[in-house]
Amino acid sequence: MEVTYKVHREDSQNGGESSFSTYQVDLPEDATVLDGLQKIRDEQDDTLAFRASCCQGTCGECAVRINYKAQFTCTTRIADVTKKGPEILCAPVRNIPVIKDLVFDMDRFTWDKMAAMKPWMEPDDEFAPTENLVPESEMAEVRKTMTCYQCGLCDEGCAVLPVDFDFLGPGAMVKGYRFVMDPRETGPRQEERLAVVEQPKGLWDCVHCYEANGKCARGLEPSSKIMEMRDVSFKHGIKNEKVARHHNSFINSVKQTGWLDERKLVMETEGLTNIGGLMKLLPTAVRAMTRGKMPGRHEKRPGADQIKRIIEKAEESK
Amino acid sequence: MKYAFYPGCVAKGGCPELYTAAVKVAEKLDIELEEMADVACTGAGCMPTQLSDPINARTFAKAEQMGLPIMTICSTCQGVFSQANHRLQDTDYREEINREYLAEEGLSYQGTTEVKHMLWVLFEDLGVEKLKSLIQRPLDGLKVSPFYGCFLRRPGPIMVPTKEVGGRRGYLEDLTRLLGAENVDISGKTKCCGFPVLTANEESSLGMVAKHAGESKQNGADCMVTPCPLCHLNLDGNQPRAESLKGEKINLPIVHLPQLLGLALGFDADEMQLGKHIVSTKAVNDKVDMLT
Repeated sequence: MEVTYKVHREDSQNGGESSFSTYQVDLPEDATVLDGLQKIRDEQDDTLAFRASCCQGTCGECAVRINYKAQFTCTTRIADVTKKGPEILCAPVRNIPVIKDLVFDMDRFTWDKMAAMKPWMEPDDEFAPTENLVPESEMAEVRKTMTCYQCGLCDEGCAVLPVDFDFLGPGAMVKGYRFVMDPRETGPRQEERLAVVEQPKGLWDCVHCYEANGKCARGLEPSSKIMEMRDVSFKHGIKNEKVARHHNSFINSVKQTGWLDERKLVMETEGLTNIGGLMKLLPTAVRAMTRGKMPGRHEKRPGADQIKRIIEKAEESK
Repeated sequence: MKYAFYPGCVAKGGCPELYTAAVKVAEKLDIELEEMADVACTGAGCMPTQLSDPINARTFAKAEQMGLPIMTICSTCQGVFSQANHRLQDTDYREEINREYLAEEGLSYQGTTEVKHMLWVLFEDLGVEKLKSLIQRPLDGLKVSPFYGCFLRRPGPIMVPTKEVGGRRGYLEDLTRLLGAENVDISGKTKCCGFPVLTANEESSLGMVAKHAGESKQNGADCMVTPCPLCHLNLDGNQPRAESLKGEKINLPIVHLPQLLGLALGFDADEMQLGKHIVSTKAVNDKVDMLT
């Protein structure tokens, strides 16, 4: 079948502007998008740069945005992406610096961030006298995350990376999860692991939009993993001071009155002795007051005593 | 049609106009609401699940006692409720929560409570035909950017669990068209508004406000519509700060879902309390006034 490839071209190292090149390619019905790219490079344009390795969907090397959806070129059939027309648009996955054409900078994108997770076990100084047996129930989810392709599809859909490229991103945090949750590193070791993922631009910079859950080619649910680590961090005590004040104020408010006291939350999050921080809130407060949006007196809700009882009991069991 | 009405904290606090608009609109649509007064905040993703699941189970048990499904008007409440309700379908987990937390009050959640955002109620319970029949002022010429935010769309298997409700991915655009307005698409309509990260990284949060509102304005929208008051707090309330950060004026009015609906049902801007917004809605008011 005759298809038209419209491929993103860019040579950032040589300062070139980005553009698109168009190629007509004749391919068998069962060809993949990767087959087409290879045919273009073999027969029409040997300057076209793209990545591929295993050619069977198990390495994650060939992630490309095909017709606006990031997927692997080696497992995406042209018949499936040309149902609405014969054009196949290939662009680099988003949120990542491009080196050339469809090849992106994996170092800056994810390797550096994954390396920051200290992705290795740190055994005790002395060897244990026996095997370190761990129950399957504690290891199952951890082992799943070990199957991560490190392809970057989860980061591709991230809502934070387009506005803050230094954010760790879901990919690196899945790597962090693999060590935070490993049952062989508990107690102070887990604390140290948490401190790594709780670094600035880490765990608490995630907006928990669950975009990454739908992107992962391995079904690892990166967003859910991030939320699980937040629950663990809560048990140990949140390390980011401002976030800790925010969470404590939130929980206390619901515990004392049944619902959220927004005014108190905003002030306690800044810190009641942080005059500079509180002053920064003034313009927003004045605007809200002028428009009649400032929340009124915060009354205790009916049922608040039961709500308090439940939260206190749940806190005891944390 | 009757619901246990769960307005959420923000509609009773920082966005009082949402509560007023939702109640007025529901009455006009013959949706009877019985407000749940004695239940807790959902936890809004800010409380760990070990604390929020028991209090949300209590809310669901209360709705079961009322014999009513719950209607929310906040995507964040809806998202947290849907995820909690999903976990509480596990019988062992539910029984543990009943035993440990609810039994003392004589409550027990059986797992039957359905929780629906108002946007879903319009399409799945009220129906398009009924809605059409109640429109008194089609919003011809009004250009609206739908903005879902995160929680009505994801996690997909929980928020859009079956093909039958697959339309949830497009209800906001469908509604805007149904009301006679024109959709102005933006690339980030299902992305985060930035509100959840306002505490940890203000710059990142305000960057998202500038990105979404700026793109909408650039694409020619008169306003943006959102089903989530937390999105509203950031996109409207923090728009002036986002403008300062980026050094450019955006000035895009952000309206709550029931407000847009209310305007098409014949309510005026004052009745929908559009004057309570931080970003002036004058551009919207002027266009709507011309329609009457």
